[in-house]
Amino acid sequence: MGTLPITNQIRRLRFDQDEMTQQELADRIGVTRQTVNAIELGKYSPSLEVAFRIAAVFQVPLERVFQFSETPK
Amino acid sequence: MSFTEKSAWISFVLILIFFGTYFARVAGVIFAGASGRGLTSLFFVLVGGFVVLEAVLHAVLAIRSPREAQAGRDERERLIAMRATRVAFPVLLVGAFASVGTLHLSVDRWEMAHATLLAIVVAELVRFGAQIVYFRRDA
Repeated sequence: MGTLPITNQIRRLRFDQDEMTQQELADRIGVTRQTVNAIELGKYSPSLEVAFRIAAVFQVPLERVFQFSETPK
Repeated sequence: MSFTEKSAWISFVLILIFFGTYFARVAGVIFAGASGRGLTSLFFVLVGGFVVLEAVLHAVLAIRSPREAQAGRDERERLIAMRATRVAFPVLLVGAFASVGTLHLSVDRWEMAHATLLAIVVAELVRFGAQIVYFRRDA
């Protein structure tokens, strides 16, 4: 699906949360581990619902998790 | 590899093996100008074997990953499935029209029926193949 104009800090936030694994995050937001991996790698943009669920897990604002870049990387 | 991707691989490989075997025999019959009636039992054996092996392999997969099997597809997997269907549907349409087009050729009912079946099989291979490609690209 290519690299998207949305970047994220999920990997860093996971490590900051007692080194949460991708599987643990996936279980908490209701997706597969492979989907979490695709999101972290910028290969998949999650729906708004999943994006908000991720932010809720880390207890941070959505903008701390996802950043939009005008210039696609 | 997720449960859904493994499932796609199982279906892709089994369709390729079972129906590839069958259509290789069909091609042999057609090019030899022979009667296709002798392939009837082979057809039912292969379809039966395909159905049984699909069920068994998916059951094994589900037993090994019960949580994933019960969870169903997530949003990305549903999107991949829709995109794969969007790719495969035109293939099915072209195949269907081509098999109808055989009406204008000197083919018999047996050959026309197999042209239709081939269209379905190829479309399914494209559908599962596209799913696998999309899964691999995201990995």
